[in-house]
Amino acid sequence: MRKSHVCLALIFAIGTVAFIMPIFPSSPLNILLNWGLVSVVLVVLAIVAFFFEFEGAAIGSKEIALVAMLGTIAAVLRIPFAAVPSVQPSTYLIICSGYVFGPVAGFMVGAITPLVSNFFLGQGPWTVYQIFAWGLVGVTAAYLRRFGLNIKWLIVFGILWGYVFGAIMNIWFWTSFVYPLTLKTFVIAQLNTVWFDTFHAAGNAIFLGLFGKKTIIILERFRKKFQWVTFKPSLEPGPDGHVLGS
Amino acid sequence: MRSFRYRDKGTVIHRLNPVGKLAWVGSILLLALILDNPLFLLFLFLSTLPLAIAARVWREWLSFMKFAIYLCIAIIIINALVSSHGTHVLVQFPFRLPVMGAPTITLEAIFYGVGMSLRLLAIISAFTILTFTVHPDDVMLTMIKMKLPYKSVLVTSLSTRFIPTLIDDVERITDVQRSRGLELDKGNLANRIRGRASVIIPLLSNSLDRAVQVAEAMESRAFGAGRGRTFYKGIRMSLIDVLTLAFALLPCALGIVMRLSGYGNYQYYPTLGGIALSSLEWSLLVLLVFLLLAILLLAYVKERVDLD
Repeated sequence: MRKSHVCLALIFAIGTVAFIMPIFPSSPLNILLNWGLVSVVLVVLAIVAFFFEFEGAAIGSKEIALVAMLGTIAAVLRIPFAAVPSVQPSTYLIICSGYVFGPVAGFMVGAITPLVSNFFLGQGPWTVYQIFAWGLVGVTAAYLRRFGLNIKWLIVFGILWGYVFGAIMNIWFWTSFVYPLTLKTFVIAQLNTVWFDTFHAAGNAIFLGLFGKKTIIILERFRKKFQWVTFKPSLEPGPDGHVLGS
Repeated sequence: MRSFRYRDKGTVIHRLNPVGKLAWVGSILLLALILDNPLFLLFLFLSTLPLAIAARVWREWLSFMKFAIYLCIAIIIINALVSSHGTHVLVQFPFRLPVMGAPTITLEAIFYGVGMSLRLLAIISAFTILTFTVHPDDVMLTMIKMKLPYKSVLVTSLSTRFIPTLIDDVERITDVQRSRGLELDKGNLANRIRGRASVIIPLLSNSLDRAVQVAEAMESRAFGAGRGRTFYKGIRMSLIDVLTLAFALLPCALGIVMRLSGYGNYQYYPTLGGIALSSLEWSLLVLLVFLLLAILLLAYVKERVDLD
C-alpha cells in the first residue's frame, strides 16, 4: 500500500468519525472534535499525501531543482506585492507551472510558495491552508490542459481560483473563530473578504492575460530541455542483425 | 527584505533547540484550539509574552500584533452580527437583511468574539516567536528528522537557499530595466503589472537556467546514488534538549486530559456561564502556565550548561 493512500484512508476515517460523532453527544471524543482542529488535521494529511506522491514522481535532481526554482520565483514575487494585498503574480505562475509540468510538480510549486515566503511574511496556521489552496491551483491547472483549452479559458480559470482560494482560506477563520457553523455564517465570513478575493481574481486575470502565453512558452522550452531521454542500448538485434551497444 | 525575518540575536531563546521550540508552538496551537474558557485563553496568550521579551523580538512582535488586532475586530464584528443564540439582547435592528434576517446583537455573541480573539492572539503570538527565532534551515532539518518525505523537504530547503540569490536577481533586473528607461511603478494597476512583466519574464528564463546548473551540480555530487545522506549541520539532542522537548509536549497532554475530564471549557450560549474558576481549575491553570514557561527556565539552564 502506498503511503499517500494511507493518508487518504486516514482522511476518510477522521472525516467519517467527525461526521458521525455529533449523533453520540455523550462520547468523550466530542470534546476533542473541535472543527478548527479537525480541518487543520485533514488539510495537513492531504498535503503529506501529496508529498509522498512527489517522492515517487520526482526521480532525479532535475525535477527537484526545477520545482524548487519555480516555487522560489513564485515566493519571491509574492513579497514585493504584500503591500497591495491579494494582487500578486504567485497564483498566475503556479497556474502556468501546473499547466506545463503536470499535477505533482504543480502541487509542489504551489506548496513551496507560501511555505518559503511566510518566513518573511509570518508563519501561522494559515500557512497550511495556503499550501493546500495553492497546491490545488497547480493540480487543477494540470488537469485543465487535458481539455485542450486556450488562454482565454485559462483567464476564466484564474478568476475562478481567486474566489475559490479565498473560500479555502476562510475555512480556517470560519471553523476556528465563528459560532455557529452554518451556511449563513460561512457566507458572511466570505463576504468579509470578498474585496480581497476580487483583487486576487483581477490580478490573476491581468497577469495571465498579459503574459500567460509568454510564460507558458518559456516553461515549455525548459520542459523539453529537462526531459531529455537517455539513450538505452537495446539488446534486441536490430534489422541489420547487429546488437546495439555491443 | 534581503533575507529572512529570522535574525540570530544570540539570546537564550535563539539558542534553544529548534525541535523543542517547534513542539512548544505546536502545543500552544493545539491548546488554543481545544480550550475555550476565555481566562485560559488569556493566560495562554500571556505565557507567550515572556518568550518574546527574552528573545528580544518584542518590537517585531508588536508589528505582527497590529495585524492580529484587525483580525480580532473582524472576529468580534462577525460573531456579533451572525449569532442570535444568546439570550441577553443588546441591540435589535428593525430592518431585515437578505442573508441574515433581522440582525440581533447579543452580549453572549460579543463575549464569544472576545474569547475567540484571545484564541487568535495566542496562536499568532506563538507563531511570531517561531518566525523570528527559528532558522528556516532548522525547520527543514526538523522536518527531515520527523521522517517527512525527504525529497519534498529537500525541495523546500533548496528553495530557501535560492531566495537570497533570486532577490538579488530581481533587484538587478529591475535596475537594468530602469536604466533602459522603463517606468515600472507608474500608472494604474494594469500598467504596473505590465511593468512587473519586464522583470518577471527575464527572471524566469534566467533562474530556470540556474536550476539546470543546480541539477548538474547535484548530479555531479552523485545525488540519489546512495541511500542516506550526511548533514553539514546536525541537530544534536543533549539531555536539556530532550527535557525541553518533553516540557513542550507536557502542556499539550495536560490540556487534552483536562478537556476530556471537563475542565477548561466555558458556556457562551445560550447564557454566559460564570467566569469564576474553582480552586481546582485555578491550580490546573497555574500548572499549565508553569509548564508552558518551563521552556524559558530550561533555556537559561542550557545557557549555563553551555558556558560551563
